[in-house]
Amino acid sequence: MGDAVRSGEKVVSVQNVFKEFRRDQNSIPVLRGINVELDACEYLALMGPSGSGKTTLLNLIAGLDRPTSGNVIVCGQNLGQTSEGDLARWRSRHIGFIFQLYNLIPVLTAYENVELPLTLTPLNRRERDEHVKAALQVVGLADRMDHYPRQLSGGQEQRVSIARAIATDPTLIVADEPTGDLDAKSASEILDLMQRLNTEFEKTIVMVTHDPAAAARARRTLHLEKGVLVNDVSSAR
Amino acid sequence: MKSLKYIWRNITRNRLRTVLTVLSVGFSLSLMTVLYGYMEAQESWGTEAAKYNRIVVMNIQGFFGQLPISSVEKIRNVDGVRAAVPYAWYGGTYQDKPMPFAQFATDASQAFQVWDEYKLPPEQLKAWQENRQGCVVDRRLAERWGWKIGDRIPLKGTSYQFDLDLQLSGIFDSPKNTDSLWFHWIYLDEGLQQMNAPVTGNAGTVFAKIESSDAIPGVIKVVDERFASSDNPTRSQTEAAFAQMFTDMLGNIQAYIRNIGLAVVFSLSLVAANAMAMSMRERVTEIAVLKAIGFSKGRVLGLILGESCLIAMLGGLFGVGVGCAFLQVLHIGIPQFFPFPIMEMIGPWTGAGLLVAAGIGLVSGLVPAVRAAQLSVIDGLRRVV
Repeated sequence: MGDAVRSGEKVVSVQNVFKEFRRDQNSIPVLRGINVELDACEYLALMGPSGSGKTTLLNLIAGLDRPTSGNVIVCGQNLGQTSEGDLARWRSRHIGFIFQLYNLIPVLTAYENVELPLTLTPLNRRERDEHVKAALQVVGLADRMDHYPRQLSGGQEQRVSIARAIATDPTLIVADEPTGDLDAKSASEILDLMQRLNTEFEKTIVMVTHDPAAAARARRTLHLEKGVLVNDVSSAR
Repeated sequence: MKSLKYIWRNITRNRLRTVLTVLSVGFSLSLMTVLYGYMEAQESWGTEAAKYNRIVVMNIQGFFGQLPISSVEKIRNVDGVRAAVPYAWYGGTYQDKPMPFAQFATDASQAFQVWDEYKLPPEQLKAWQENRQGCVVDRRLAERWGWKIGDRIPLKGTSYQFDLDLQLSGIFDSPKNTDSLWFHWIYLDEGLQQMNAPVTGNAGTVFAKIESSDAIPGVIKVVDERFASSDNPTRSQTEAAFAQMFTDMLGNIQAYIRNIGLAVVFSLSLVAANAMAMSMRERVTEIAVLKAIGFSKGRVLGLILGESCLIAMLGGLFGVGVGCAFLQVLHIGIPQFFPFPIMEMIGPWTGAGLLVAAGIGLVSGLVPAVRAAQLSVIDGLRRVV
């Protein structure tokens, strides 16, 4: 389970990070000297055109990838110096994922999907049950826990996905275009829910989005272009 | 929710593919079960025969050589021999069915001393001994054909020119279904003489009961030495060795069966591996999600291998079950070749079938599992995180 963090504590520290991808003999720079600090309970939106490196930065912060150079320190862990096995364990404790296409497991019910990351924790069955029901309650789908993903609408699937992301009470929630595949109404509901996670449950959130309306819900917005941070705006919200 | 539930759900995700994979493993293993069951039956026959201290004497040339009927008396006179009888295969047709059961010409005076584990009521034995055309049969054979004492059983010769008109004198009980009918050797031989058959006076083989197992090697040595300088030298062996000889007559069949079995297992592994690989290709994003939320390489490897092993084991259980059921049907239909009911034959070899299934599961799942475990989360998620 995620360690509790207090408001104002440093959760993410990205220090002079460069990231290159290799394609055959060519080296393609994606991030160039990025520096970002993120406190607990912040809600950060990453914006920028396609290819600007925002998803790559999100992957680095989530511990799914390693920087070519520089340090990515999240929840006190230098991710660039952590082994793959330790990273997997670290992600299960500290990170909650929200995907654009929800990525629920189709053969599992909503309940079982939310329970999936909890199976990696030492919780017993009763404790897992409490966590799952609480998470589904938060996203307003307690009455759909026995439904399979195919029996849910897109908005409901994304809410189950959010329940899965918060079930382990992670330190940080990362979301990549969480409303990118939803209609306007469902998107608004999801954004409301994420805002509530930030304000009411004090969750630290990093969200990649193309949508200015979605970014406007965040407390802070970073703009990237060609792998460089070009703007850092904090809202008064 | 634990891993097994997730594995089971994945197996039922594409039911048709799972069923076809299970059936392909199952049918092949059922065939292997029957083949190995046959070999096991042969071995069991030998093991069973070893209990009863019997030897079999035959011409050194094997079944094609002759053994004069006079040799029976000579064998009876060897020290350590308790009883001896001729035992000649007749192989006739009954009700136009070729060799529907085993038929042997023997000597009623000592047959139940040689096979003293067979039980025949004394009055029926007496009736058989006094009726030249009399015969006795195994109880299960009598039940199968609905025979009762006094019934006529006509047998038409195939390798012999003389047809038999037998009358059922007795029904014996034996520990195993022998599926056999015994009649008087003398009745057959006299009939052949009347028909001026080219070969008469041939005992076929001689079965002898020995006093004890310790005496067997000595008796075999004496018998073979006694006939060594005759026109018909003999080869004597224990009944167990005689049973093994039938298996050996199949030549390298056992090796063929094992090699074919290996080939089947290999090809099945490829079939199952293909099914698993297809299943994994369809689930790349899902596996990436599992790894993203914290599933380790080892856990992903275990999930995929568990899935492939479970499918193969289901096929194995199905195959071994069907194979055993078929062996039981063969035991009922042709007990002379499958003398043991399946419940008496089940042993390590049936467990080996399930182990083979587990092996198929491991081999078929290994490559997809390793690839899934090594999958890059970024590549797997592609458009998402």
